[in-house]
Amino acid sequence: MPKARASPAGTAAEPPHPKRRRLPDDDANSMPRYSSPAEDMNRDEDTTEYPGRSRAHRPLARRDRLPTSPNRTRDASASRSRSRSGRSRTRSTSPRSDEDEQQRRYRSRSSTSSRESRSRTSSRSRSRSYSRSITRSRSPRSRSRTRSRSRSSSIRDRSRSVSPSRFQGRRPSKSHAEQLRPNYRPRLELSGHTAAISQVRISPDGKWIASASADGSVKIWDATTGNNLDTLIGHMAGVSCLAWAPDSNTLATGSDDKAIRLWDRVTASPAHACGDESNRGQGPREYIRGGSQLARTARGGRTGMGPLLGHHNYVYCLAFSPKGNILASGSYDEAVFLWDVRAGRLMRSLPAHSDPVSGIGFCCDGTLVVSCSTDGLIRIWDTSTGQCLRTLVHEDNPAVTNVCFSPNGRFVLAFNLDNSIRLWDYVSGTVKKTYQGHKNSGFSIGGGFGVVTDNKDTQDDYRHGNIGKPFVVSASEDGDIVMWDVVTKQIVQRIEKAHEGVCFWVDVNGDTMVSSGQDCTIKVYKNVRRKKHDRRLKFDKPNGISAIDGTNGHGNGRGIEINEAMGDDDL
Amino acid sequence: MNLLLAEDYLLQDYPEHITNTIRSGHSTCVRFNRTGDFLASGRVDGTVVIWDLETMGVARKLRGHSKNITSLSWSRCGRYLLSACQGWKAILWDLQDGSKYCEVRFRAPVYGAELHPMHHHQFAAALFEEQPMLVDVKESAQGANPVEVRHILPSVEKRSDDGADTPTKEKHAKEDARHMTTAIVYTATGEHLLAGTTKGRLNIIDATTHKIIYSEKIAGGVITTLRLTESGKELLVNAQDRTIRTFKVPDLTSADLDPDTIQIPLEHKFQDLVNRLSWNHAAFSSTGEYVAASTFNNHELYIWERGHGSLVRMLEGPKEEQGVIEWHPHKPLLAACGLETGRINIWSVTSPQRWSALAPDFVEVEENVEYIEKEDEFDIHPHEEIQKRRLDAEDEDVDVLGGGGAGGGDVAPFRMPVLFNLGESDSEEEFVNVGLGTLRRKSPDDQDDGAPASEGRPPAKKTVTQRTRTRKR
Repeated sequence: MPKARASPAGTAAEPPHPKRRRLPDDDANSMPRYSSPAEDMNRDEDTTEYPGRSRAHRPLARRDRLPTSPNRTRDASASRSRSRSGRSRTRSTSPRSDEDEQQRRYRSRSSTSSRESRSRTSSRSRSRSYSRSITRSRSPRSRSRTRSRSRSSSIRDRSRSVSPSRFQGRRPSKSHAEQLRPNYRPRLELSGHTAAISQVRISPDGKWIASASADGSVKIWDATTGNNLDTLIGHMAGVSCLAWAPDSNTLATGSDDKAIRLWDRVTASPAHACGDESNRGQGPREYIRGGSQLARTARGGRTGMGPLLGHHNYVYCLAFSPKGNILASGSYDEAVFLWDVRAGRLMRSLPAHSDPVSGIGFCCDGTLVVSCSTDGLIRIWDTSTGQCLRTLVHEDNPAVTNVCFSPNGRFVLAFNLDNSIRLWDYVSGTVKKTYQGHKNSGFSIGGGFGVVTDNKDTQDDYRHGNIGKPFVVSASEDGDIVMWDVVTKQIVQRIEKAHEGVCFWVDVNGDTMVSSGQDCTIKVYKNVRRKKHDRRLKFDKPNGISAIDGTNGHGNGRGIEINEAMGDDDL
Repeated sequence: MNLLLAEDYLLQDYPEHITNTIRSGHSTCVRFNRTGDFLASGRVDGTVVIWDLETMGVARKLRGHSKNITSLSWSRCGRYLLSACQGWKAILWDLQDGSKYCEVRFRAPVYGAELHPMHHHQFAAALFEEQPMLVDVKESAQGANPVEVRHILPSVEKRSDDGADTPTKEKHAKEDARHMTTAIVYTATGEHLLAGTTKGRLNIIDATTHKIIYSEKIAGGVITTLRLTESGKELLVNAQDRTIRTFKVPDLTSADLDPDTIQIPLEHKFQDLVNRLSWNHAAFSSTGEYVAASTFNNHELYIWERGHGSLVRMLEGPKEEQGVIEWHPHKPLLAACGLETGRINIWSVTSPQRWSALAPDFVEVEENVEYIEKEDEFDIHPHEEIQKRRLDAEDEDVDVLGGGGAGGGDVAPFRMPVLFNLGESDSEEEFVNVGLGTLRRKSPDDQDDGAPASEGRPPAKKTVTQRTRTRKR
């Protein structure tokens, strides 16, 4: 029966079938994939049953290659064939000729043409049944399309009428709003990584930048000078994700080697390493010895306590709780793990999704965790009980590749692979806003919220979240960085060609913005406040990014100051 | 924030079953901080262990006492912790770095010490066979150690027996010398102290003049526990006459307070008339709506409802007598120390997984509902039109910044630093049964690290029930 709905990949005229998870024959041949993580754990060693399926088909980091160059990915990862993909076994029965193509599509999460997805979704409803365990979360997709649409639209209507007034935005005055437009100008370009940089994040105190790269290393940079302070080496494969602890002293990184490592920012050594309590009493800061000299060498490895092990597949996303005591991780093994950071112990494992967990986030008070997956679901979990409290799914069911809470924890921002970013009200379960204008159909790109304030002390304002105008920022696959006004959904700033190729990640902390991309560079931007009189002039101009494009390559591990970009403004 | 998604029926008022057992050495007393995310426990060997309730793991260990910890008290901000021990000592800890902010030696073992409810510069201590003390901790200007200033508080009201003859005076003086304070707490504002004595009297002491302004005999035996609710309007008294009493506390802050008109009316008496049980320790629930008590020579915890004074629940736990019992400041969660093993048992509620939360187009219904199809339910509209309509509908104003937890107060709340070395350093004896049945033993040889050998502890701690985790959550 499933074969009757022929895989579109077989017909040459059709565009490549995009989402692996939507392939009808998945159902027939990949039952193990939908098993719960509990079973998954038992099957950890099963990969040996398929010696032919090597990890080779997966590049060492998923963001490390263009979707259009399958050969290159194979070559690049051939050296890593010793480690096998836990996932590939699930595809063992798919035709060999298709496999490469499928995997490529799957990993790159390429776009879904809307027509196809619709027809598939509706046809699928016939074969699906709800009798399968709900935890596997396939059910939402099985409903009839038209029906679900009308239903959820009615939900939306209702929720709008009852939406509590206290969450209504406070709109600043018009001129004020105009002044509070983001105006990020390039300031530094950091180079040093040798492969694509999958994530880059600014520390909560705004002083440091950490970048995770497909070359297996993590670098820490000084956010003001752009100096490369440390290179953290220890992961055996590409690093997909990283997270800063709220005190900015600890960094967690997750890698394709299935391990999560915690690093002390100051010593650049694994954070669990030291058992010397007397020394440790004052917290990590005590480790400042020898200062910069010590900090410049690349260290790491396996001293002391090892990494956090437990995931059965690539670790794909990480988030620290606001108190810093819990680390949440999402993996290709479809589970969300909550770790006790202090003891380095797996606290809870949530059988979260039926596809790789692609994004994870904590809300501001730490009581909720949100996770998303390429299965199109966004789930909200209670941190203390580990129960799923809400599942959000869009009618079109586009894959979700990244998710985060709004600063006040009332909304969830989800990055979908249909070139849209959606703002969900998770209490009512409705989409409040859809942001479009960037390109996102194949990669896990990142972004988040930022706030523009009208005075310089943005740190405090952002933390207290009261003054200023919020915006949504996202990377784009055409190398741009796009910013939208949260309420009006209009693009308020677009930094064109920030990166060659895909721009993977953008992070904002106050007036500092940082982005990373396929071109192995990191760029740092600073918000330059507009003067009232010339704001209109400044806005339409592209921000001179092209001026720095030629600087890749030189400046080994150092930031290059971009003077000219700031020069003409009111700094 | 998770309350936004909670259902009403999940919000139960009092704990139902034992959900966790945590253990570090032999704990003798526990205390929650004001926000309820940390639990301090004092051990027989004098170590104070701070537990993170979110992870059920050890957040910090404080070493400085050498004897049994008798009482713990958190500061309002959660940064300071006062611990008192039988070794004649009280230590005020700064949890920012785990150092001793101030250490005060007394001339007797300490029954209990309570920190001022508003700040950490003053505390009151009830001492064994000594008069209670009020200790002011003054920060010295040059950054040296803070100095403490002690004031002796009275246990007995001054007698106005000027006219009495000498034998009577002597007799009174003798009596008064044996009259000791056994429990002392601050009122909600910290302007007054409530003290219970060996003869069952309740004294109200002015914290600035150090004078007793009111005294009345409220119990027939030694008062062992005094507890106030968060609002400070209800007082819980446990005495050795096998009765727990609750009182209404009048407002003592009014400017024209006349000590002669103070009345502390008795509200309820909780006792077990059949078994004549006596109570080890008692605690108010978060709102004061319930009273929980641990029983002497018995395994159960009793929970009474304060409105009617009726017994609502007897909590079963491990077959062990429970000592100090504490109610979480805002959750239906009880922590109690087992007297024999020194484990901390936690009773709580487990809410069922709502299955409809996993599949958003499902609704949990009580009975079958006939589905009535809408007129346009199966109409097919072009995708673009739907998309456009959808986007046009998103005209609502949203506020992603304010209104939530992001809005900070005047002072940044204290955040306990996260330490990584605890697991390695000395927690071989740590043995944690994390809820839902994840049983953890830190090290295969699980030994005591400080508890006296006389503590009869089962060598293999397997008494804790291990539930199989349901993966279907």
